[in-house]
Amino acid sequence: MDKPELIIDGKRLDGRMPDQLRPIKITSNPIRNAAGSAYIEWGNNKILAAIYGPREALPKHTGNLNRAVVKCRYTMAPFSSIEEHGRPGMNRRAIEISKVTKEVFENVILLDLFPGNEISIFVEVLQSDGGTRAAGITCAAVALAASGIPMRDMPYAVSAGKVGETIILDMNKIEDNYSDADMPVAINPRTKEVTLLQMDGALSRSQVTTALTMIEKAGETITKIQREALLRPYEKVSSKYEASI
Amino acid sequence: MKKLVIPGEMLSDKPLRLDHTVVENGKTCSTVIGLYDESASSLIPVEGLWYPRPGEKVIGIVEEAKLNTDLINLNAPYKGLIISKFTEGNIVNNDIIEATVKELDKTGTIILIRPRVLYGGKLLAVKPSKVPRILGKGETMIKMIGEGTKSSISVGTNGLIWLKGGDYDLATNVIMRIQEESHVPGLTERIAKMVGVSTQQNRE
Repeated sequence: MDKPELIIDGKRLDGRMPDQLRPIKITSNPIRNAAGSAYIEWGNNKILAAIYGPREALPKHTGNLNRAVVKCRYTMAPFSSIEEHGRPGMNRRAIEISKVTKEVFENVILLDLFPGNEISIFVEVLQSDGGTRAAGITCAAVALAASGIPMRDMPYAVSAGKVGETIILDMNKIEDNYSDADMPVAINPRTKEVTLLQMDGALSRSQVTTALTMIEKAGETITKIQREALLRPYEKVSSKYEASI
Repeated sequence: MKKLVIPGEMLSDKPLRLDHTVVENGKTCSTVIGLYDESASSLIPVEGLWYPRPGEKVIGIVEEAKLNTDLINLNAPYKGLIISKFTEGNIVNNDIIEATVKELDKTGTIILIRPRVLYGGKLLAVKPSKVPRILGKGETMIKMIGEGTKSSISVGTNGLIWLKGGDYDLATNVIMRIQEESHVPGLTERIAKMVGVSTQQNRE
């Protein structure tokens, strides 16, 4: 199949500008059984994240007596995608994404407080349209904060890529498949630490700088959405009484 | 002025000695969702886990009663351990006990002392971050609930509450309401109205 034209008259196939994010909506704590959970709708991506723990690390040999361990499981529902990604269970890609997600959160959770315990992060992709690892990390960060697990920062993730010579932000499925490069990045907004950086394809040094600038700018919007999602339930209760006064 | 903060949010550009915060590069940042009062320099978590401190009262279920030690499930990331020299009487599996924290060892096990078996009643699990609000200042809130519902109530700082006798349902509803509205001012008056008890202020 020929490569489709991804940018027409300066606009992308879904009508977005190169530096524009897809609409993002986050709800905190949709799953009552979990210690904390979140649901994100990022464009056409629909993802659930749930946190269990801190609880005793089992099997015992996986635990660490000095600190907690983070375990992450990223999976795509069999019905989530029109392509091979939707195979049920763990595959090569799911294992990789679980690993990188785990490493993002190992950097922000105060693990020393819970020796011998594990914190389990489950990310389940219900509908996928490109950029699910970034959306999964953003969603899991909200779920972790909602569970009360102490964190140094609220990480967010978003991808950037290249179509021809144009750098584009937050790529969807078609752009992901046919672009010249794809670079998902996770950042801790307060310290600006990069906790995830993967790259597919080739980007020049100046293009990476442009992409990172775009990502940081988009991060301000994403952090704001994460914050609103976390505080909405409390503000809702407060406003009920403020209205009655 | 109180404001809601999220993890990673900067509270002060000076290092402060506050619970639930980290100090990095001389700046103090929150690690939890909480209510920050800048004038009083306090951060009250609205979502948070329990960190045991010596002298705190906890409630747990006996998981494994052995000859020398009893293992207690505290519904927390820490296991409770009672050494038999601290026990009086017999403790068997599945007993509900109330005990005091002696210390937390490096492996995350809490040594408990002064255990007391609680017979009958029922257990209620709440978020540990809401326990201070359920107890109230000088335990006034919980006394008020006990007075209004005629229940015997014992609150563990680990988030387990034991209730016996009186109006169970009302006591449960009241505690759940405190959990939901703990961050909203005027809670004591609303709870007093709910349990039909006049508050200290009204009496005066």
